[in-house]
Amino acid sequence: MPAPPDFDLHSDSERGLEAASIPVRATRAAPFEAIQRFLSRYGLIIVLLALPLAFMASDLAHGHGFAHILENLKDGVSNGAIWALVAIGYTLVYGIIELINFAHGDVFMIGSFVSFGMWGTLGVTLGTGTLGRVGGLIVAGAIAMIACGSLNVMIERVAYRPLRHAPKLAPLITAVGFSFILQNVGLEWLGGSQHGVDDLVDAQHILVNIGGVHIINADVLAIGITIPLVLLLVAFVQNSRLGKAMRATAQDPEAARLMGINVDHTISLTFLLGGLMAGAAGLIYALYNTTIRFDQGFEAGLIAFTAAVMGGIGNLQGAVLGGLIIGCIQQISDDRINSTWTPAIVFAYLILIMVFKPQGLLGEETREAG
Amino acid sequence: MLVAGLAVFVAACGGGSSGSSTGSTASGKTLTVYSSLPLQGASRTNSEALVNGIKLALNQAGGKAGQFTINYKSLDDSTAQTGKWDPGQTSSDARQAAQDKSTILYIGEFNSGASAISIPILNRAGIGQISPANTAVGLTSNAAGASPGEPEKYYPTGKRNYVRVVPKDTIQGAAVATVMKSDGCKKPYILNDKEVYGQGLATNTSDSLKTAGIPPLGNDGWDSKAANYRSVASKLAGKGVDCVFLSGIVDNNGVQLTKDIAAGIPNAKIYAPDGFCESGWVSPKEGGVPTSLDSRLQCTVATLDPGSYPPAGKKFFQQYEAKYGKGNLNPYAIYGYAAMSLALDAIKRAGSNGNNRQDVINALFSTKNLPSVLGTFSIDKNGDTSITDYGLYSVKNGQIVFSRVVKPSAG
Repeated sequence: MPAPPDFDLHSDSERGLEAASIPVRATRAAPFEAIQRFLSRYGLIIVLLALPLAFMASDLAHGHGFAHILENLKDGVSNGAIWALVAIGYTLVYGIIELINFAHGDVFMIGSFVSFGMWGTLGVTLGTGTLGRVGGLIVAGAIAMIACGSLNVMIERVAYRPLRHAPKLAPLITAVGFSFILQNVGLEWLGGSQHGVDDLVDAQHILVNIGGVHIINADVLAIGITIPLVLLLVAFVQNSRLGKAMRATAQDPEAARLMGINVDHTISLTFLLGGLMAGAAGLIYALYNTTIRFDQGFEAGLIAFTAAVMGGIGNLQGAVLGGLIIGCIQQISDDRINSTWTPAIVFAYLILIMVFKPQGLLGEETREAG
Repeated sequence: MLVAGLAVFVAACGGGSSGSSTGSTASGKTLTVYSSLPLQGASRTNSEALVNGIKLALNQAGGKAGQFTINYKSLDDSTAQTGKWDPGQTSSDARQAAQDKSTILYIGEFNSGASAISIPILNRAGIGQISPANTAVGLTSNAAGASPGEPEKYYPTGKRNYVRVVPKDTIQGAAVATVMKSDGCKKPYILNDKEVYGQGLATNTSDSLKTAGIPPLGNDGWDSKAANYRSVASKLAGKGVDCVFLSGIVDNNGVQLTKDIAAGIPNAKIYAPDGFCESGWVSPKEGGVPTSLDSRLQCTVATLDPGSYPPAGKKFFQQYEAKYGKGNLNPYAIYGYAAMSLALDAIKRAGSNGNNRQDVINALFSTKNLPSVLGTFSIDKNGDTSITDYGLYSVKNGQIVFSRVVKPSAG
């Protein structure tokens, strides 16, 4: 479609005030408008691909091939899988009650602690056989998920439900309060220092080398657990009766109530699902990094919430996409630039994405967004 | 960050209010010596050993220094929330000492970053400070490793009040470089935790490595909040790094960093300074790295094995074990003892003015050829000790074990 004449882009008052300069402005504005149109159409893609393409070009120029950048992206996807699971909890809750659940990162931390505690209780150690380890970890993971799901439901019941009709600031503060309570629980549990845990899955053992890209056990663990969980969750929300109730409540709680949906139960279910994902993420984090800490949830929560916003708050697939993108940015920055700059680069990316697409990559799914 | 900023602000305000007591005389014949050390987190074991050493020195002196009775108060500069030294708590400790009219000296801090906060507060209050563990160069001089504005910014009155009984990081950096060279490192790399201590020591070590003919391939900061450091390790592996020096404190996610570097560069040797050299780093029981990494880890501390000390030092170790139990020896215990001994000696040397804060500070700085458990040492005009020997420690079965004395030569 041909571009409209430039002077048509201005209001009548502008034309009236600057009538004498219209031809000159039109000439000068043309390239600017063209750049603006180009950026609004392709800016986001340029932003997202800038880092990987720049380093890929650099690798090729130095004769290193694609292996290095692919290794970065592989590491990013496997790290990002953990952020994605945590981000789901943020996005689900924000989508349904428009609350930033600050305590969610700490629920994730409790997931790591419960997992670690459970495999201690079950006697799963480095000396346990493969079958015993797998069985123990499945049981520990299931218990961590149930514990985090129940904890999240309890938090909603105690700290958010009584404030459902209060000003938005009130539940925000109770969320911050619960975040500190959970951090202190973690502090009492394992103390203030980082706590190394047994490397039960031999996390950094190279499983296979595909064209210079090393797939390690931790990658298989993170991606192997995250993909089925996300698929199950999406299927549940899209197709099940309860999932439809969740979506209806997210769109209009009053209308949903009039249609016979038990809104309170639906909101509790949302918290349960978010907690289950956080529990799974907690288990993966402990096995993946082999170090846990009482304040790990703060940083993880910040990153995961950023992922949720980046992908489009309220949008499940968006949260996953955001998590994976942040994982990739972190790995590329750590490896190619300097880990000192990683947090700044991640948030610079967030700002750029928000500038080009304020509703997030896959679009918001909230009442505000319609 | 906000808390740190507030702490500095509060410290600055507090300093003003306590400034009225500058050069004052502590009241009465009973004087108080405070210590401020991280009694929580990974450094807890070392701090407890320091406190034990301090108490032992005071007990052996009969709780007296010259004509004065000495009262000792132990403060904690860490918080449970941070699991390490905390700017706000450090400031609070220094202010507590500054506001106590009976305060004569302050032993602390364990971490150089913490001393950067407490020195100005105590400086305004005219109280002498003895650190039993700080090594950052910038606290006392503007030699290599110091940041712009150091050390003047720590001494707002223009007078010095801070001394230390451990050698500074120009010496530790040279000791690390000496060890790396003798271990055959060809492509060393430095990672630092971006704190006062870690960054300064990284510069010192880098300089010493250059002098030793094995310049580091890089000196990067690590993000203490990161979930893991696999890409950092992968970057170093890609450069062919064979030795990595972790310049910082273990509380800054040092266990995760060590694990990831060890896994990402399977044949690399890993070196760490006194900020890492504690059980929280290497003991799996305390959440440290697995024992499978033991053979690849080494660290330096300005402490030697009992056999390498003069008779007074050997005697100290016997007495310490007799009081606190065998097998409880920690490298830092002797520094606690040395710091309190220096404090008592300075008060004694100040004679009848032993309760005058400035006279005691003057006595600290005029310390010359003082026989001690560490050997005979002097304090120079900057407040640094003349002792230079460093101990190299290896790791066996999750425990830090003395390896040998290092005579720094690279720096």
